[in-house]
Amino acid sequence: MNTLSSGLLAELAAAVGPEWVISEADRLLVYESDAQTAHNLAPQAVVLPSNTDEVAQVARALHRHGVSMVPRGAGTGLSGGALATRGGVVVGTSRMNKILEVDPENRRALVQSGVVNKDLSAETAPFGLHYAPDPSSQTACTIGGNVAENSGGPHCLKYGVTSRYITGLRVVLPDGETVWLGGQGREAPSFDLVGLFVGSEGCFGLATEVEVALVPLPEATCTLLAIFETLGDAGRAVTSIISAGLLPAALEIVDRNTIKAVEASIFAAGYPTDAGAALVVEFDGVDAGLELEAEEAERCCEAAGAREVRRAESAEERLALWKGRKKAFGAMGRLAPDLLVQDATVPRTRLPEVLSRIAEIADRYQLQVANVFHAGDGNLHPNIVFDRRDPEETQRVEAASKEIMGVCVEVGGTITGEHGVGADKQKYMPLVFSPQELELLRKVKGVFDPEGRCNPGKVVPEARSPGSEAVS
Amino acid sequence: MSDSVRRVLETWVAPETLLPEGEMERWRTGPEREGCPAAVLAPSSEEELAGVLAKASEEGWRVLPAGFGNWLQGGGPADVRLVVSTGKLNKIQEYEPADLTFTAGAGLSLEALSGATGPHGQWLPLDPPGGRVGSLGAVVALGTGGPLRHLYGTPRDHVLGLTLVSGDGQILRWGGRVVKNVAGFDLTRLSIGSWGSLGVVTSVSARLFPIPDMDVTLVVRGLEMSGLLSAARAMARSSLPLAAVELFDSLAPGGPALVVRLLGSRAQVAEMEARINADLSGHAGNTDRLGREESRALHRTLGDWEKGAAMVARLCLLPSELGILLDEAEGLRALATGWSTPGARVALSAHVGAGVVRLGVSDLPEAASALDPWVATLRHLRERVEGKGGSLTLSSGPAFLMREVGPWGVSDGGRDLMAGLKAQFDPAGILAPGRLGLS
Repeated sequence: MNTLSSGLLAELAAAVGPEWVISEADRLLVYESDAQTAHNLAPQAVVLPSNTDEVAQVARALHRHGVSMVPRGAGTGLSGGALATRGGVVVGTSRMNKILEVDPENRRALVQSGVVNKDLSAETAPFGLHYAPDPSSQTACTIGGNVAENSGGPHCLKYGVTSRYITGLRVVLPDGETVWLGGQGREAPSFDLVGLFVGSEGCFGLATEVEVALVPLPEATCTLLAIFETLGDAGRAVTSIISAGLLPAALEIVDRNTIKAVEASIFAAGYPTDAGAALVVEFDGVDAGLELEAEEAERCCEAAGAREVRRAESAEERLALWKGRKKAFGAMGRLAPDLLVQDATVPRTRLPEVLSRIAEIADRYQLQVANVFHAGDGNLHPNIVFDRRDPEETQRVEAASKEIMGVCVEVGGTITGEHGVGADKQKYMPLVFSPQELELLRKVKGVFDPEGRCNPGKVVPEARSPGSEAVS
Repeated sequence: MSDSVRRVLETWVAPETLLPEGEMERWRTGPEREGCPAAVLAPSSEEELAGVLAKASEEGWRVLPAGFGNWLQGGGPADVRLVVSTGKLNKIQEYEPADLTFTAGAGLSLEALSGATGPHGQWLPLDPPGGRVGSLGAVVALGTGGPLRHLYGTPRDHVLGLTLVSGDGQILRWGGRVVKNVAGFDLTRLSIGSWGSLGVVTSVSARLFPIPDMDVTLVVRGLEMSGLLSAARAMARSSLPLAAVELFDSLAPGGPALVVRLLGSRAQVAEMEARINADLSGHAGNTDRLGREESRALHRTLGDWEKGAAMVARLCLLPSELGILLDEAEGLRALATGWSTPGARVALSAHVGAGVVRLGVSDLPEAASALDPWVATLRHLRERVEGKGGSLTLSSGPAFLMREVGPWGVSDGGRDLMAGLKAQFDPAGILAPGRLGLS
């Protein structure tokens, strides 16, 4: 890869201060991948600006020199979205970590995009408010990263995903121009540019400041853990809870392989290792009536064949019930050197069928799949454990992934529910979009980034000759 | 000219797609001569509609997308050759109650949708202005919500996917029918609230919610507006999951009212009611309690007040700035009594939690000269609201007022991006001219 000109490096150093420009090969290794380690390639340089003005100067310098800009938050993404796969300079937001304003009166906050998700909720808790989206990585991931990926989380079943909570954005466009989008309620006479920017995976520009809507902390919470002999029974319990007209805050499933991994790890949560699946059900809101909802959910679980239902009576017990779910990904590290964290969504009612088809695919390719998922949303994470050093096994993983995506799309689902397309799933985009639709997605990117230098090579596969767009 | 247009259209579409000439008056897009379209088309398939738009793009004929024609002049007169209605695309294409999702043609009315989902104990909790006679497509294209937005949000929070026929006649499907979907850029959200300027929404997938067991509305009266506003603000800020917190003025006899809707299980609603009553006990007002049927009946009619109003404006403000309206409303009231027909009223309804306000005047003078004070007052109000970072949209009003005040006001950032996006979807620039201030 070409090295950057000394002129550009000097301009970057002038913009952010020389100590915040990283160009030594060994230090760049930190930035060679995100949490999806299948993709890795170090950028040509990394710059760490501290505010909008510095980001704008960096963008202008890169624009002048014709070098790509790749935005990056905490690097917890799971689709290779923050990698400089086509070369270029990573612009990291880790120094832009200030909460600029908390406005409890209007239930909003203005933050720099590098603020860590959990830190924002901690800051607003004294006002009885929190930032609702809670991705599993919330102790590390940034609000800006959440904006880029339109992140979800266990409690999005009731509260909705990131885009529901973003009301305004200050964005540095690829040519260095700064625009403020949205703000003050979303019904100003304008296109929903904020809604369009959320989930654009760093392809439209870099959001430097984010206005978020805050919601009241729930007054009370009631959490159940139901243990099932089979994954299918757990899936039926979910359908039955939803059909009963209950709206839990979260409905999360872990399967047998995941339970075994968790219980063998330092995160052991006391889930029975001979169980087929465990289902976490949580209700929140005003205290009155939660008990009745929990009882009804308990009946649904029992009718679906639960062999045991535990209810948390204290905050400690609640954390214990959640532990097996929250630490699942960490625990899977024990199973094999590599883990392909998959992500897809299917209609809720198709869950049992899809899960058994995934199990069949895994058997056929002789792979071990551990399922952890947001069952209430139909958002699956069939995770495949493997060893990347074994090329033959890696090939089987690829082939099985492709079949799993095909099954999810076939039943009316989609190729990613919350992790994004990034560099990882472009090859599956033609499964869900026609050539005309892909072309329009490219044109929409072109409106923000006419020269194609903002996180290039992500989300939308490049155009081929007409009619040749098909899944490779 | 309209004859020659119709002759051309007869070669484009099936005869029944072209509405009879006698119905044109009902589809006026403006009060003046140019406000009468040459033809109204109601295609019976997405393909037919796509064909119409592709050919209209070639001809450079301007088109206003519509549902049932309730909002044709919303946002000002539109100078168009054709109106294209989605009224015949009114089928429920997919409804799986256990998934709590549905897909339906844009021409389905909210009323018909609720008729289909109600028996399964489910509903789409949207109550836009104009009520349930509106089409699903119009609600999505305008992105409007009503009082229930306090708990449930607006169409942006419910719609999972949609089909959009772009200005150049491409049939494009964005999103899907699953509740979490981040494949590709979010063109579903871009389309919602785009006022038909990117394309015609022809089908919509959205999530449904269980209909709560209890539906209770508390109506607080007997207080001055300022007292009601502070009570309403406190309520909207509480941690109770209230379904709606609305402030009304001059909509009905009995003075200003605070309307709070409670939805949930029996135990939850009882708890919320007890706590609200305890909070209100310090105030001098009196509270009426409406049970399920009365509550539903009230909310069915609340959105209707602006039908037939001579002027309607819509304001967005930070909730903490709603006080601005109290003093401004007094000025408007003086104008109404001073210049309009006797008995003319100024009415306002505010979604207190969101800071969205609809302001209406029941009667206005016809003569332009008599409207001058209104022009000045609305300009002043817009300036004041925009000074606070908000917006004032003049949704409807006499032609002179619409022209002088302008429907949209000064918009915030991103105008170049909006124009750039429109050019990708509607390269010939035929769709919804003038909407959102786009040419």
